[in-house]
Amino acid sequence: MSNPRNGPSALLGTAVATAALGLFGFAGTSLGSAIVGETRYLGVEQKAAASLDAMKAQYRRPTSIPFPKENPYTPEKLSLGKKLYFDTRISVSSAQSCASCHSPAFGWADGLPVGVGFGMAQLGRHSPTIVNAAWGAIFMWDGRLANLEEQALGPIQSPGEMNMPIDQLMARLNTIPEYKPLFATAFPGEPMSPKTLAKAIATYERTVVSQRAPFDDWIDGNEKAISEEAKRGFALFNTKAQCSSCHEGWNFTNDGFQDIGLPSDDVGRGKYAPGVVKMQHAFKTPGLREIVHRSPYMHDGSLKTLEQVVDHYDQGGLNRPSRSDLMKPLGLTSQEKADLVAFLKTLTSDLSPTAVPVMPR
Amino acid sequence: MRLPSLTIVVFMGLSVGALAANLTITQKGRAFSSEEVTIKKGETLTFLNDDSVPHNIMSTSAGNEFNLGSQSPGSSTDVTFKEPGEVVVICAIHPRMKMIVKVQ
Repeated sequence: MSNPRNGPSALLGTAVATAALGLFGFAGTSLGSAIVGETRYLGVEQKAAASLDAMKAQYRRPTSIPFPKENPYTPEKLSLGKKLYFDTRISVSSAQSCASCHSPAFGWADGLPVGVGFGMAQLGRHSPTIVNAAWGAIFMWDGRLANLEEQALGPIQSPGEMNMPIDQLMARLNTIPEYKPLFATAFPGEPMSPKTLAKAIATYERTVVSQRAPFDDWIDGNEKAISEEAKRGFALFNTKAQCSSCHEGWNFTNDGFQDIGLPSDDVGRGKYAPGVVKMQHAFKTPGLREIVHRSPYMHDGSLKTLEQVVDHYDQGGLNRPSRSDLMKPLGLTSQEKADLVAFLKTLTSDLSPTAVPVMPR
Repeated sequence: MRLPSLTIVVFMGLSVGALAANLTITQKGRAFSSEEVTIKKGETLTFLNDDSVPHNIMSTSAGNEFNLGSQSPGSSTDVTFKEPGEVVVICAIHPRMKMIVKVQ
């Protein structure tokens, strides 16, 4: 937790210095058009640590999947979207589908440090899971796509990935007779188009949800559902280890962009926020459901085990200006680290096997 | 003239309890306290971080750009809006945080 960094007389000096900078329009890293005034440190009263019950209440599972009003759920869209998601003919090589990198076999990712694309070339970043994507606020590690409909068309057209120009894809789908009635019932009165293709895929993806895990049973009051180590781990997660600052809520993320000090040249979100110091090397916080099935970890797949992940946070990461203020050495004991890993393992549900659909011919 | 009005802002800010002078936007729970506010050209908003995590409030709206950088919990910074128009204010870190400042 932070304290005001200065005593009263130093505060006055800081305030004057910052205000003086403001006169010349250089306060903070402002572009200078609005006038940023001085910063006051007020030490806003922090509540006493929440009771365990209050903490647990923040992790209750939602009761339904949110579908956007621009693309509401229908069983026909779901069925079409699932076929498209598993259809390798979406790629120019006819060898890769969405499921190739976002596979039910690997926690809806691919189990690799970084993805594999066109011509078996290694991509730059770890394939994210699509589990619980329906609740995402923004997509891609660097947040460059706003919603699942936009995201569905990205890898299809990306030369490094499926390398399939969208017009060529629509032409190919038009040569597969069984797709026509599927599109017609899913989108009555609309022609087959990239827009309806993306809406179908997004609808399917929204139904990929992590099922009840032992953690959820514990949240709902079953004290036998998880071990004492895991319960201690949950408490640490929300207090000393500060994980819940970013990995908050039932899906364990607020989708925030943070630099956690990994030694990688990738500037992540910083590419889209040049000049914003805290966005350089910042990546979107992933959720933690099914985390055991989603190794290796981080945007570059550089950490193989959950133990390594906990060690990274305990150590604090590279101390550079862009690093999140929340990152710092934690001083965890080896028991505490083990407790955290035990807790993370309770987030794995018995995901029922996914039946791969028969492809339209 | 720009200089005297900035001086006024500085002196108001230095006195304890000057918060009452400006409309204050808070951020608890990773959310802005208002989705939309309307102010007059030259008026000031106070962005107060009463949350438990740092925020990075900024805008790229033409004429009213600003970037507060990492704002720690318990700190507050004033921003004066000079240009009329609609200013989209976001937190660079938390993509759900967005509000509109209508400068008249």
